[in-house]
Amino acid sequence: MIDNCAILPCNGLDKCAGAVSREVAVKLCENNANEIICPVFYRVAEAKYNKIVGEHPLIVIDGCQTRCASKLAAEKNLRVFKKITITEEAKNHNIVLSGGLTPGESDKVLVDLILKGLVNEPENSGLISDVQDISCNFDYNTFQNGKFIFRIPRGAQIYFNENDCWAYVIGNRARIGVTDFVQQNLSDILYFTPPEIGAEIDQFGEAGEIESSKSVFEIVSPVTGKVTAVNSMLEQKPELINENPYETGWVAEIELTDFENDKELLIGFDKYFELVKRKVEELNG
Amino acid sequence: MNELKVGVLSCSGEECLGGTISRLATRKVLEELKFVKTVTLCLPLYLAGGEEERNFAKVFPTISVDGCDKLCAKRSTEKYSGKISGSIDVSKIIGTENALNSRIIRNKDLKPEHYEMVDKVAGEIVKEISHLSPDSYSGKSFGGCGCGGE
Repeated sequence: MIDNCAILPCNGLDKCAGAVSREVAVKLCENNANEIICPVFYRVAEAKYNKIVGEHPLIVIDGCQTRCASKLAAEKNLRVFKKITITEEAKNHNIVLSGGLTPGESDKVLVDLILKGLVNEPENSGLISDVQDISCNFDYNTFQNGKFIFRIPRGAQIYFNENDCWAYVIGNRARIGVTDFVQQNLSDILYFTPPEIGAEIDQFGEAGEIESSKSVFEIVSPVTGKVTAVNSMLEQKPELINENPYETGWVAEIELTDFENDKELLIGFDKYFELVKRKVEELNG
Repeated sequence: MNELKVGVLSCSGEECLGGTISRLATRKVLEELKFVKTVTLCLPLYLAGGEEERNFAKVFPTISVDGCDKLCAKRSTEKYSGKISGSIDVSKIIGTENALNSRIIRNKDLKPEHYEMVDKVAGEIVKEISHLSPDSYSGKSFGGCGCGGE
């Protein structure tokens, strides 16, 4: 069942497939708490939709192989839970699109078949089956203190706690890790103790440990939920955290259970960037 | 002789009635206008970098139709294809309050008065097209649009 999702249709106005993509999107919103993202307005004024796409699973509906909606999602670095391409669906169902800009009979049949397929999706299913595949290609702001460079990822879906851990939230899942502040302070990280898969962790609960020759750092979970995956690479190569604590050095993935409340105690990029600068200055006196 | 062509680049708005009216009025003009060939340019594709769409708007006269005063279509056209031949701001025709109505957006919710608005806006689009100089109807250096709108 598709519910409480963000829907990004191509909304093409010049081809039948675009008109059908919009029709599917509109139908998905008629009886469920889904929300359409206007592909035009999202491109010219993204602020309006950042919260929606950050907090809800995203379904992208492309009309044709030009895949404008998918391209837009990629440009905005959005995690897509489900992709539908109307021309491919038509082919799979042996339906010839009418070619008109007002959906014709065959188009309506296709819309119904697509919707039926989506309704039969198991709840919160398989949409996110590849839990290892939350791609984190962040944009960063940096600052330098002495020879040390600190990178902080920015984006509406990234949250931080004051314990220098981050969470990248997509729908009801988050990937978590530590920030540059932690890895720079620990220096060469030698050991990683992961959290247990399946463990229920409270916000600010322990989500594993990392250790260098200097000290041990307890990873403080920014979010509440169940651990669904850990970065097993870190057990062999804990130095990945030094190399990039946000991408290759991520720690775990968590299925969120109370994010609305968790958010109240998290901060976004702007505040964390200022906080970490202060911490660095204080440390180096 | 080159075929007479005019591009119409409409808001794809999903946020307010103005967007819906723009889309329906553009479609009406496309389907019903006979004295010149109108081609809808897909705004999402145009913004995504569609070269054919952008080239069409550089060569053929193009009219933007926007649902509200954010003018997404007009601003984008000017940014990527230069000066436009005409522009319609639906909120100026049906009133800002109507245009920004976010409760009535879907076709199924439209009432006869909304279809009257569609007709009115379509009439304004036709008027804009009629004001264009006949010389500007045909592309001078661009062979075909290839935008799929035909």
